[in-house]
Amino acid sequence: MKQLVTDVIILARTDYGEADRILTVLSPEYGKLRLLAKGVRRVKSKLAGGIELFSVSTITFVKGRGEIGTLVSTRLSKHYSQIVKDLQRTMLGYELIKQLNKTIEDEPEPEYFELLHQAFEALDDHTVPLSLVSMWFAAQLTRLGGHTPNLQTDEQGRKLVSDQLYDFDSEHMRFVTNPLDGAFTANHIKFLRLLYAGNTPKAMMQVQGIGKMLVDCSPLFAVR
Amino acid sequence: MRILLIEPDALLGKTYAKALEAAGHAVYPVRNAQAAIIAADEHPLDLVIMELQLPSHNGIAFLQEFRSYHDWSDIPVVFHTFAPPHSQDSAQAIVAKQYGVTAWLYKPQTTLAQLLSIVHRHAVEIS
Repeated sequence: MKQLVTDVIILARTDYGEADRILTVLSPEYGKLRLLAKGVRRVKSKLAGGIELFSVSTITFVKGRGEIGTLVSTRLSKHYSQIVKDLQRTMLGYELIKQLNKTIEDEPEPEYFELLHQAFEALDDHTVPLSLVSMWFAAQLTRLGGHTPNLQTDEQGRKLVSDQLYDFDSEHMRFVTNPLDGAFTANHIKFLRLLYAGNTPKAMMQVQGIGKMLVDCSPLFAVR
Repeated sequence: MRILLIEPDALLGKTYAKALEAAGHAVYPVRNAQAAIIAADEHPLDLVIMELQLPSHNGIAFLQEFRSYHDWSDIPVVFHTFAPPHSQDSAQAIVAKQYGVTAWLYKPQTTLAQLLSIVHRHAVEIS
């Protein structure tokens, strides 16, 4: 049977039998894969190192007849070791993996692999605030799911302008004009445009007043 | 009881292990997450007592791995840690609940007697 090589990020692990594990991994070329990792639970196994969750590994695997393939070998390409040095970063990291695992289908979608990869980069850099990583990730998931809010026109189809105040209509994913006490200004909308444009969290840190923007825009990302 | 004790500080680890052994428990002391997984694989366990702040992998990373094995999914875990317990709605508290953490003992405010009493309570529950 043909052996295939790809880069993967581990999404989930569960044990199988006495010494085996089933890994759910995300590959840019093959999408979400379930692979049987034989003997990983045995300490001396060359596939061991299951604790290294926040990493990109190059793996060799064989596609099975059914849903589950078999892992042949793994090589750690990049481990984001700074994430697990901080409890809050670790917890957010697990949460993002969980969210992504729930969102994606089995089909290959390289954008999701890249998204998680960039999220690990940001979590690994302790200068990037967690609130930014969290908001950025939520925005990218929305964008990739095809639900980017309308950041160009208001409820009447008029162009969003700099001297107006707006509120956000989450049902229709658009801004509505509220000249008296709208919560959002042109600066917030600019910030959101940058966020949804797919800039990395590190790049987003260049935005002036990023701390205030994160606080002001957080209601838009509250779980609905 | 058979207790896995994950304590990165050698002196503290020795002290807790001695006290727990004197109380009649079998203790497997380790100093990091990887050693803890290996020890758990080698010994049947009734309880895990652990520091959250560990070298190279923190306690949450250990718990993620530990709980991904079916046969370890029900073993009670006690945090005995320098990380202060947070309010019930904090992310840490939620995670603790999610991973079946039965007690969160803040080390600077927990006496050896209190630790032993918590362990004793677990021993009574499983007997």
